[in-house]
Amino acid sequence: MDDQACPRCKTTKYRNPSLKLMVNVCGHVLCENCVDLLFLKGSGSCPDCNIVLRRGNFRVQLFEDPMVEKEVDIRKRVLRDYNKKEEDFNSLREYNDYLEEIETIVYNLTNNIDIVETNKRIEQYKKENKELIMKNKAKLGRKAIELEELLEKEKEYEELRRQELSRLEQEAKRKKIREKEALIDELMFAEGNAKDILNTFAQTVANKKEEEEVVPMVTQFSTGVQFTRGSTNQPIPIIEEGPMYKYEPLAIPDRCGPDPPMIKEIIQNGFLKHVRAENETEKAGGYTSTLPCLRALQDALSGLYHAS
Amino acid sequence: MFSTSSQRKFWTFSDENELARLREKHNYFFYARQNSHIDEQQRFTYFLSPDEERQLLKQYELHLKEFCKRFTPPMPKGVVGTAFHYFKRFYLYNSTMDYHPKEILATCVYLACKVEEFNVSIGQFVANIKGDREKASDIILNNELLLMQQLNYHLTIHNPFRPVEGFLIDIKTRCSLANPERLRSGIDEFLEKVFLTDACLLYAPSQIALAAVLHAASKEQENLDSYVTDILFRDAGRDKLAILIEAVRKIRSLVKMVEAPARERVRLIEKKLDKCRNQENNPDSEIYKRRMRELLDEDDVLHVGSSRMSLDTSGVTQVLSPSAS
Repeated sequence: MDDQACPRCKTTKYRNPSLKLMVNVCGHVLCENCVDLLFLKGSGSCPDCNIVLRRGNFRVQLFEDPMVEKEVDIRKRVLRDYNKKEEDFNSLREYNDYLEEIETIVYNLTNNIDIVETNKRIEQYKKENKELIMKNKAKLGRKAIELEELLEKEKEYEELRRQELSRLEQEAKRKKIREKEALIDELMFAEGNAKDILNTFAQTVANKKEEEEVVPMVTQFSTGVQFTRGSTNQPIPIIEEGPMYKYEPLAIPDRCGPDPPMIKEIIQNGFLKHVRAENETEKAGGYTSTLPCLRALQDALSGLYHAS
Repeated sequence: MFSTSSQRKFWTFSDENELARLREKHNYFFYARQNSHIDEQQRFTYFLSPDEERQLLKQYELHLKEFCKRFTPPMPKGVVGTAFHYFKRFYLYNSTMDYHPKEILATCVYLACKVEEFNVSIGQFVANIKGDREKASDIILNNELLLMQQLNYHLTIHNPFRPVEGFLIDIKTRCSLANPERLRSGIDEFLEKVFLTDACLLYAPSQIALAAVLHAASKEQENLDSYVTDILFRDAGRDKLAILIEAVRKIRSLVKMVEAPARERVRLIEKKLDKCRNQENNPDSEIYKRRMRELLDEDDVLHVGSSRMSLDTSGVTQVLSPSAS
């Protein structure tokens, strides 16, 4: 421990027992006083490697080797994006390859090997797996909430049990006092043998103890649903629905003319060759050249049989 | 679709006699409503005869065509066709002596622009009219509701232009005619003339379109008869084919008979009309102006005495449409 020293002001643990060494993302150590001094404005550069650092990112050094600190830091950052789970992979082999890749990246970043290349790789990965990363992050968030809920529940349960216990204890105490008083009363006013009375009382006390059974704590509704604060995983209630919608094709009114071709026939029989083709923008709006073609043909044929 | 439209149900008539009867009826109604001292035998010396009305309307249909041709911004064909339909429909149930055709003409075109989604403001519209533009826009906007009412709000018009496109597509696909596009000029010419006839009140737009295509083909020395008989009417009965052939023949003969009315005669008719027209609907007449003033005053009175809630709108309807009942 003695060799712990701030590289800037050379203070050691021996000379200043309250020395607190701090470490930032670059992995270089500074004592708390130096941090206060150097990063008065909130940000500045590391005296060792000149990397720009933020004051808020300084942490108390937990490991003796500052390189480990740096590694932990980097790992945390990398794992924020590389958050795939085993179930995201088809085989164990792929998952292991993936873990291996993470290790390589962390190792490279910690030891300043191919930093540019590695960062590029991370960026590439981020771009490719944007959705999955977001999903897993959300999942992680949900897991955390669930965990919190579980802890909360446990705490509540504990509290209830504690209350119950103290209540029981008090009751027992009161009972004992009552029994004692009853016994004394009995001894004072009864005319039987004192020994007999003592015996019968001891008997009843023993019997009662057997009868007593612990009433289970109520921690759930009668339906079996646990008492929780609005769990997110509550099943969606099934809503009673009417009869299913059934599609019935429209009745075609009397066209008063020959039957126009169907859309399929328009496409197959080459009608479209004589219509302006739709462009990309029109397609996006749902327009196709079959529509005006069909309409023109329908209009041409409708009413041809009209007789005055 | 035409087969289920109000156009077929209410505005396609059986023959020309029915049209003539309607026009004569409303010509007589006008005379009867005037309560003049002129007896029936001599009424045509003062009032317009049905034939004179026809001549006048034909002249104004030519005006309508010219007006639309010169219109800026240039008008799509559909607007012109729709305006023609409105104009013809309006004068089936009204007399020219009641409403001057020049006013109804502009209103028809204005309404057609709206219905066919050809967006022009009233300011832009009256810029195409010579003379007092403010007065013109007043007349058009005043008459617009009347026109719609007289059309019974049947505003959708099935024009023959889309059927023509349909036939051309069909001919290109199912017929071996070389270069069908060369028919276009003939078709356009034919359709322009069709609107000067009563064909659009008698036949389906697809029949008119087919007549145009056949006419244009014969002008190009082509024969499309086999297309009609073997492809279009392959599954239809002989009787249906006979009906169509008769319709096409009639449309073509109607178009052939189109001729501009004699200028001198129309001038005389217009002079006569100036005297006998219903002065209540003439924006230049004293009686019309006085009524407008009264209406305005009445409005003021109504606004002052707002405690009297009964709105007397009889005056308004009278000004807008004295014949509508």
